[in-house]
Amino acid sequence: MTKSILLALSLVSAPLLLVAAEPAAPSAAEAVSWQDLHAGNEVANLSSLQRGARDFTNYCLGCHSMKYLRWSRMCTDLSIPSAECAANLIPADAKPADYMLTNLRGEDAVAWFGKEPPDLSLIARSRSVDYLYRLFKTFYVDPSRPTRTNNLALDGLAMPAVLSALEGVKVAVYRNVDDVVDGKPTVRKVFDHFTSVAPGQLNAEQYDAFVRDTVNFLDYAGEPAQVDRRNMGVWVVLFLLVFTAIAWLMKKEYWKEVH
Amino acid sequence: MASNDAAAQVKNGTGFRAWLNQRLPVDKFVSEQLLEYYAPKNFNIWYFFGSLALLVLVMQLVSGIFLTMFYKVGDTTAFDSVEFIMREVHFGWLIRYLHAIGASAFFVVVYLHMYRAMMYGSYKAPRELLWLFGMFIYLALMAEAFMGYVLPWGNMSYWAATVIINLFSTIPVIGPGLVEWIRGDYGVADATLNRFFSLHVVAIPLVLLLLVALHLVALRQVGSNNPDGIEIKENKGSDGKPVDGIPFHPYYTVKDIVGVGFFLTLFAVVVFFVPTFGNLFLEEANFEPANPLSTPDPIAPSWYFTPYYAILRAVPNQRVGALLLLIAVLAFFFLPWLDRSPVKSIRYRGWWFKLFLAEFTVSFLALMYLGLKPATGGYVIAARVFSIGYFAFFGGMYWYSKWDRVKPVPQRVRFHD
Amino acid sequence: MADQDAVDLDRRKFLTVATGATAAVGAAFAATPFVASWSLSERAHAFGAPITVDLSKLELGMMLTYVWRKQPIYIFRRTPETVAKLAAHDSQLKDPKSTESDQPTYAVNEMRARRADVAVLIATCTHLGCLPKQRFESGDVELGADWPGGFRCPCHGSRFDLAGRVFNGSPASVNLRVPPYSFQNDNTLIIGLDDATTQGAA
Repeated sequence: MTKSILLALSLVSAPLLLVAAEPAAPSAAEAVSWQDLHAGNEVANLSSLQRGARDFTNYCLGCHSMKYLRWSRMCTDLSIPSAECAANLIPADAKPADYMLTNLRGEDAVAWFGKEPPDLSLIARSRSVDYLYRLFKTFYVDPSRPTRTNNLALDGLAMPAVLSALEGVKVAVYRNVDDVVDGKPTVRKVFDHFTSVAPGQLNAEQYDAFVRDTVNFLDYAGEPAQVDRRNMGVWVVLFLLVFTAIAWLMKKEYWKEVH
Repeated sequence: MASNDAAAQVKNGTGFRAWLNQRLPVDKFVSEQLLEYYAPKNFNIWYFFGSLALLVLVMQLVSGIFLTMFYKVGDTTAFDSVEFIMREVHFGWLIRYLHAIGASAFFVVVYLHMYRAMMYGSYKAPRELLWLFGMFIYLALMAEAFMGYVLPWGNMSYWAATVIINLFSTIPVIGPGLVEWIRGDYGVADATLNRFFSLHVVAIPLVLLLLVALHLVALRQVGSNNPDGIEIKENKGSDGKPVDGIPFHPYYTVKDIVGVGFFLTLFAVVVFFVPTFGNLFLEEANFEPANPLSTPDPIAPSWYFTPYYAILRAVPNQRVGALLLLIAVLAFFFLPWLDRSPVKSIRYRGWWFKLFLAEFTVSFLALMYLGLKPATGGYVIAARVFSIGYFAFFGGMYWYSKWDRVKPVPQRVRFHD
Repeated sequence: MADQDAVDLDRRKFLTVATGATAAVGAAFAATPFVASWSLSERAHAFGAPITVDLSKLELGMMLTYVWRKQPIYIFRRTPETVAKLAAHDSQLKDPKSTESDQPTYAVNEMRARRADVAVLIATCTHLGCLPKQRFESGDVELGADWPGGFRCPCHGSRFDLAGRVFNGSPASVNLRVPPYSFQNDNTLIIGLDDATTQGAA
C-alpha cells in the first residue's frame, strides 16, 4: 500500500522535477576528476531543502529511515505548511510528530540486498556531503554484481542504482596505464570517463541539481540547528570583540601606574 | 569599651558584612589572597593560561552538569540521547558543542601552560610540588577526557576504549585480568560505559577540584615565577613588598579579564562556525553508533593524545611501546630534579637548553601530527626519529643543564611600560 | 599630579563600570541557553500531540481513561435524563456555573461539554491531584440516598458530579478541569485539538 503510494508520488513529481529543477552552474564535470567533485550545497537555501525533502521522501524513504528527525520538525524548519506537509510528504500511516521511519523491514532488506540500509540521519556528518554527492554521480553498469551496478565512490556497495530512471544509465570506460609491480612492467586499468548508454528523465544539469538538493537535505538533517548556529555565532563573536576591547581599555588604564 | 567597639567595627565593617566576617573570614581571604598577594609585574602572554585553565574547568563543569540532565547512559540509549540533545533539547546543540570543544580547548590551554613552565623553569625549587600537583592534574585530565569521549558511544568511542584499555594487557602477570576487570565484561560493553560515566561525572571532577585547590595553595605559598626567573621575594622594598611585585588585585584580575575576552572570542568562533574543526574536535567516525564488528579506518585517538600514540606505535613491540608511552608521560614528573641549571629562565640559559627545548617542541608537534596518520612507511620512520628527539630532551637534561654556559641573571625584572 | 590622578580615577571608574556592565549582559546571554534547555523539548511537545479516541464501542455506564500530556482523561456517556437532572443539585455545589474552574469556552455550560451525551474530564482531583473513582450509580450506601452519580476521590473524600462539578463539603474547591477537544465526526473525538474539522487528522 505504502509502496504504491510512493510509486504514485514519484510518478507525479518526476515531471514536476523537470519544471522545478534549477539550472546548475556550467558543468565542467567531465573535465574534473570524480574524486574532486564538490557538493556545493547551501543549507540556508530553503527551496533547495524543500526539494531535497521531497526527493528524499520519494526516492530514499522506501528503504532508508531518518530516525532522529520528526516530520513536523522538518516541515517547520523548511517552512512547509503543516497541511501540505501532511498531504504530500508524511506517509499515510505516520503522524506529524513521528520520526521519519522507513517501512522496509530489516529482515527483508537483508534477504533482498544482503544488508540493512543504514539510517541516514547522520550520514552527512559521518561521511561528508562531498562523498554523498560523488556517490550519486558515479553509479555505472557492472554485470558481475547482483545489483548489476557498481559505484566509484563506494566500490561494491549493496545499494542498487535507484536514481537511474532520472540520471540515465552509464558505463565506465577505462584506459591503460603503464606501471611497475615488483620490478616488472605491467599495464593497469584506470577509470577514464563515463559514457551514457541510456538517457534518464533528467538531463545532466537537472540531475546535478537533483543530487545537490538531496545532498543538501541530508546535510540539513545531519544537524538541523546549523543555520541558527552560524547566525547566532555572528552576534556572539561581535559581542565578545566589543567586550574584549572595553576590557582591554580598562586594563591599560589600571596599568598606567605600573612602572 | 566604646573604642573597642569602634575598633571592632572598623575591622569587620558594619551590618551584614560584620555579621558575616565574624563567622567566615571573607574579607580576610580577599585581602590576603588578592590584595596582599604580590605577583611579579613582568608577566607576559604565557601567563594567561593558568586563569584560562580555571575558566575552562568551570565551563566544562557547567556544560557537563547540563548535559547529564539529558544524557541517558547505557549502550542502547547513549547515542540516541546525544542526538536528542543535539536536536530536541532547546539549545542542546550549543551545550554539547561547548563541552566537546571545551575539552580540546582545555588541552590547548594546559599544554601552553605547561610549556610556559618549561621555558621559565617554573618547576624548579621551591616550586617542585606545585609542578607535581600540576602533573597530577594533567593525568586526571587525560583520564577525564578519555572517559568522556566514550560516553557518546559512537564508533570511535567504542574503539578508542577498546584499544586504550587493551594497553593495560601489556602489564606483566596481571595484565589480561586487569583489562577484564577494568571493562567489567569480555569486551568494552555497557558495564564499561556505565562505570566510565560515574567516574567522568563524579569521581574525577572531585579529584580535579581537589588537585586544583592544592595547586593554587601551593602557588600562593611560594609565589609565582616570572619570565626572568627572578625570585621577587628576595628583593623587598622599605614597605616590605617585593620591588618587582604588584598586588594581584586589581592588576592581574583586570589583565586576566582581557585574556578571558580574547580566549572566549576564539572559542566562540570555533564553537559557532567550525565545531568539528577539520575532524579534530568531533570525529566523523563518531557520528556512527558503536559497532563491535567494524573498526573505523583510519583510527586515531583525539589530537591531544596523539603524541603519545605516535610513540607507542613507533616501536614494533607492543610491551615496549606501552612502556615507552608511560615513560613519555612520566618523564615530566622528573623535570625539577633532572634540571640542574643554576638559572631558571630560558632568557639566561645557554645554547644547549635552547637547542633541546626547540627540538623537543618540534618533536612533540611532529609526533602529534604523526599520531593522526596511519602507521605506515615514512610515517613510522619519522615517528621513530621524533620519539628519540622527545626522549632526548629529558634523558640528556641531567648533563646538558649543567654544561650550559649561563648568562648573569639581573637583580630586577625586565619590564617595559 | 593630583589632577592627573583625579582624571585617571574617573576614567578608571567609567571603564570598570563599562566592563562590568558588558560582562553582566554577556552573563545574562550566556545563561539563556542553559535556562532554556529546561523548557519542554521537541520530544515532550511531540508526545503532547492530540490523541484520537474512537467512541463507537463506548457504552452507557462505561468509562474510558486516556492519557494526554501526562494527564488522565475520563471519557464516558451520559443519558439525556442524567443531563436534565444536573441542574437539580446546583445548590449543593460550590461552583455550579463553572466560573472559577478551568475549561475551554465551549464547556462553560450546564453539561460542561460540547455534546451533552459525551463527557470529557481531566481525572485529576483539584484538591491535591489524586485520581477520583467513578461512582456512577445514583443513591449509594456510602454517599447517601440523594447521590446523583459522579466521582469520589479516595484520598481526602472530595466529590464531583457527572459534569465534574465539585460538591460542597469537599476539600477540593474547584470543578474538575476540561481539556481542549473536538469531534472529527460522530464517533471520533480528538483530545488536544479545539477544532478537528479544519486541521488535518492528528
